[in-house]
Amino acid sequence: MRNTLPHPELVAALPRLRRYARVLTGDSCRSDDLVQDTLARAWEKRHLWRQGSDLRAWLFTIMHNVHVNQFALRQRDFANSSLDADDGPVAGWEIPVRATQSDRVELAEVFAQIARLPVVQREVLMLAAVEELRYEEIARVQDVPIGTVMSRLSRAREKLKRMAMDTPTPLKVVK
Amino acid sequence: MNAVLPPSEDELNAYADGQLAAERARQVGETLAGEPALAARVEEIRRQNRLLRDAFDPWLAEPLPRRLLAAARRAAPIPSERWQWAWPAFAAVISLLLGIGVGWFGRGEVLQLTGTPVTFPRQAAVTHALYAADANRPVEVWASDEQRLVNWLSKRLGFALHAPDLSSLGLALVGGRLVAGNDKPGALFMYENADKRRISLLVRRDGEFSHETAFRYAQEDGVGVFYWIDDNCGYAIAGRLDKGQLLAISRVVYQQLAALEGSPQKR
Repeated sequence: MRNTLPHPELVAALPRLRRYARVLTGDSCRSDDLVQDTLARAWEKRHLWRQGSDLRAWLFTIMHNVHVNQFALRQRDFANSSLDADDGPVAGWEIPVRATQSDRVELAEVFAQIARLPVVQREVLMLAAVEELRYEEIARVQDVPIGTVMSRLSRAREKLKRMAMDTPTPLKVVK
Repeated sequence: MNAVLPPSEDELNAYADGQLAAERARQVGETLAGEPALAARVEEIRRQNRLLRDAFDPWLAEPLPRRLLAAARRAAPIPSERWQWAWPAFAAVISLLLGIGVGWFGRGEVLQLTGTPVTFPRQAAVTHALYAADANRPVEVWASDEQRLVNWLSKRLGFALHAPDLSSLGLALVGGRLVAGNDKPGALFMYENADKRRISLLVRRDGEFSHETAFRYAQEDGVGVFYWIDDNCGYAIAGRLDKGQLLAISRVVYQQLAALEGSPQKR
């Protein structure tokens, strides 16, 4: 067993880690700290990574745990809220550079809607729809049974659909 | 005829995500053919997936902060608590310098410093490293759907594209995907040889490509890239192959595109 992590794959995973961190924290300043903490943790725990297994899924798992722990720490200061709760709109998500005007409106809607989902649902949706992880891998990331992953996914999709229907300008089909 | 159970809510989700076991997926596919309402729900889920990827994929092309690259490579010790406050300021200074650099030099050739995917060959290398390493989902649309892939990418990029035929080099098309660019999106076609080694062709038409270039070679993080600019369009062949092999591939791609130039197929 080699006691190291592959650098190229780790660097290649960085954009995805940053994106996931930003979706988790909803804050582009705090999210890079989360990425950095995750990388430090990954290097500490490198003996737990099995060569040849999906590094990306493993890193998401570490990030999930680091985020949950940091969240728990912050809860000492801010009581009365939980990871499952709707925790209000998320600030700090920029719309990608030079989107066209109609794209901008549409992307702004998508970000606003995602931000209104509870963190665990946001996580499942990102991992399933955007990162295209297998449901089993998502279950490992969140450390819950696969049935929980599927019900969270289903609820997240249902909510997004309802939010899209409530939007005055309906979302157009993206081809 | 055996009675087949109607698909559950979870199964519809799994089917839409391509995660249902093959046998059950076939049954559900047959059921959907006769149930337009269920088929519409599956299409709705897939549409939502595409919308989310379109919204979040451009984030992947953002420049990476140096401290994260260092943390990933473990090149530098993690800054001590005492200096943590300085990072936002440092990052702001770097961004400012980069901004000035971009403005000053016009083209993105000077941004190697922070390892940002800004230069065209760098973008090609990083994009290749990102997707070619992905065993399950290297592409968004598979080669089995080549015509739809080419039509879709041509539509998104705004000009007619072609997936070159590299079978003479033992490379088969895996598929392709849309990728973020500086100004406009790019198209990525991925190919694979019998040993499952992959190369990718990145095509992007952009305002920054105002001058034509000959073949150029660059190496980024172990990925070799041959690239050239022709008719305001940048082409890059990227892969972990040696320079000679990449050049041979680039020549074939170039010749095929040049051959199309004279034919009515081009437009």
